[in-house]
Amino acid sequence: MPSSLAAPVVEAEGVSRRFGERVALDGVSLAVAGGRIEALLGPNGAGKTTLVRVLTGLVKPDAGTARVLGVDTWECPRELRARMGLVPSGDRSLYLRISGLENLVFFGRLHGMSKRQAFARAHELLDLVGLADAARLRSAFYSHGMQKRLSIARALLTEPHVLIIDEATHDLDPEAAARMRELVRRLADDGAAVVWATQRIEEIRGFADGVTLLREGEAAFQGTVSQLIALATPRRYVLRLRNGGGSRRDLEPLLRGAIGGGGAIAALDDGDPEDFLLHLADEAVLGEVLAALTAGGVDVLGCREERSEIENAYLNLAGSER
Amino acid sequence: MSTLAGELRKLPAFVRRDFLVAWSYRLPFVGDWIGLAVQAFMFYFVGLMVDPSKLPTFGGQPTTYMEFVAVGIAISAFITLALGRVAVGMQQEQFAGTLESLLMTPTSPATVQLGSVVYDLIYIPLRTAAFLVVIAVAFGLDFYASGLLPALVVLLVFIPFVWGLGVASAGATLTFRRGSGIVGIGSTVLVLFSGAYYPLDVLPNWVASLAELNPITIAVDGMREPLLGGTGWEGVGRAAAILLPLSAVSLALGAVAFRAALRRERRHGTLGLY
Repeated sequence: MPSSLAAPVVEAEGVSRRFGERVALDGVSLAVAGGRIEALLGPNGAGKTTLVRVLTGLVKPDAGTARVLGVDTWECPRELRARMGLVPSGDRSLYLRISGLENLVFFGRLHGMSKRQAFARAHELLDLVGLADAARLRSAFYSHGMQKRLSIARALLTEPHVLIIDEATHDLDPEAAARMRELVRRLADDGAAVVWATQRIEEIRGFADGVTLLREGEAAFQGTVSQLIALATPRRYVLRLRNGGGSRRDLEPLLRGAIGGGGAIAALDDGDPEDFLLHLADEAVLGEVLAALTAGGVDVLGCREERSEIENAYLNLAGSER
Repeated sequence: MSTLAGELRKLPAFVRRDFLVAWSYRLPFVGDWIGLAVQAFMFYFVGLMVDPSKLPTFGGQPTTYMEFVAVGIAISAFITLALGRVAVGMQQEQFAGTLESLLMTPTSPATVQLGSVVYDLIYIPLRTAAFLVVIAVAFGLDFYASGLLPALVVLLVFIPFVWGLGVASAGATLTFRRGSGIVGIGSTVLVLFSGAYYPLDVLPNWVASLAELNPITIAVDGMREPLLGGTGWEGVGRAAAILLPLSAVSLALGAVAFRAALRRERRHGTLGLY
C-alpha cells in the first residue's frame, strides 16, 4: 500500500452537473489527502453518486474539474485507472454466474496481470476480506455482505492510491458493516485516500476524518466530524419521569405547570408509561427545566437526546427536518 | 505496439469468463444444437420435393437441395448468431451492471467491446464448421474435402463484415437501449435476399441483380463453389477481393459508431442505465 501523501490526492473544484432540468451537483469542491477518509454524506438524491461518478471519470462534469493524482479524471489515462479502486453501490457489478475467485482473476487480468499473478493476487485478497473459504463458490450464492467484500477485494487488486466507495454498507447488517469500515480504515492507515459515500450518519463518527455533506447538489458542510457535531443544537429530549401512581394524562398538566415557558412536554407513545418528550424552548436551559420538574415533585429518572447530536447536525444541515 | 500487445493479452480472460458463464447455462447450449438438428431435418424433407435440375450448378457439378441449403443454413445461422451476440454483447454488460466496472480497469473500450464477443467469435465459426461436418455425415452429403479450407478462408474474410455491423448495432443498442430489433430485421432481410435457402433465379430479375451485390450472397456462393463444385481456390480470390474492402469499411464504421455511442453515454452519465 502506498505511503501517506501530504498533498490532496483526490480533488474536485467547482464541479457542477445537470441531468436535464435536475441539478445533481452545483459547484462542489473537495480535497482528500492520502491516508484520510472523507465521508460524502447526504440523503438520497443529494448528488453523492454523481460526484463519485465524476471522480472516477464515468460522468463528465458540466463545469469544474475533478482530478486524481493531479490528472483530470474525464481525460483519465488508462494508467490512472490502475491507481484507483471503485466499489460501486448495489450488487450488480460482479459476474454472478462465476465464482468470487474467477471474478477477481478476470478483473486482475484486465489490469494487466498474467494468469498466474492474477490467481495469486486473488487468493491473497480473498484471504484479506475473509472470503477464502468461499473462493470457489458462485458469487450469486454470496450474501450481500460477502458480495460487498468481494467488490472491495476487486477494488484492491492493484493496491490503489485512491479508493472510492459508494454506499458500501447500506444493506449490510451492523456486524458486516463494522467489518467493512474496519477494513477500509486499515487501508487508509496504510496511505490510501478514501472517499466514502453514505447516507448513514451514524457510521462516520470514529471512522471518517472529514465530512462533506451534500444537500440538493450543494456542499452544505465541509469539515471534520467534530465540527459537524458542534453544529448540532439538540432541543428535543426523551425524559423518564415518575410521580406516584397517577395516570400519564393526569401528570401532563402538572409537568406543563412545572416547566412553564421552558418548553412543551407530552407523553410519548412508545409503550413505556414513564417516557415523555420535552421540546425545549429556544432560550430555555435544560438543567433549569429539569430542576423545575424536580421542584414540582416529579422524579426525573433519566434524560437523553431524542436523536444523537450527530444525527441532529445532519438533519439540520440536510434540511430534511428541524 | 506494446499497448496493443497488452490489450490483446487480455482477450483470453474474456474467453475464460464467457466459457465459464456459458458452461453454467448448459440447457441453452444443448438447445442450440437441437434447434440446428431440427432445422436440418426440416430442410431434408423439403429437399425431397425439390427437383435438383432446378438448382444451380457449382463448378459445373449438379447438387442436391440438401447440399445446397446446408451451406446456406450454416452461414445464415452464423450471421444471426454472430450479429445478435455482437450487438447485445455490451448491452448484456449493461444489464448485468458490469460495464462500469469493466471501464474502471485500464482497458480500452475497443478491447472491452471485442472481449465481450471474442468467445462467440471463436465458438460460432467452430459451430458452423462442426455443423457442416455433422450434417454431411448424417445425410450423406457430398462435399469436396479439398473445398473445406478455401470455404473457411471465405468465412474468415466474411467475419469482420458481420462483426462491423454488429459493433455498429452495439453502438445503437447502447444509445437506444433496444437496438437489437433493428439488427434482427436487417439480418433477416439480408439473409432473405442472399440465396441461402433458394436460388436467386426464383426472384424477380431486378431483385436478383441487387441480391448479387449482397455480401452474404458473395460469401455463400464463395463457400458453395469449393465445397459443392470442387473448384478449390479458384473463386476464393474474387470473393475475398470483394469481401475484404467491405469488411474493412464495415469494421471502421462500426468502430466509429460504437466509440461515439460510448462517449455519449459517458458524457450523459447513463452508462449504467438500461
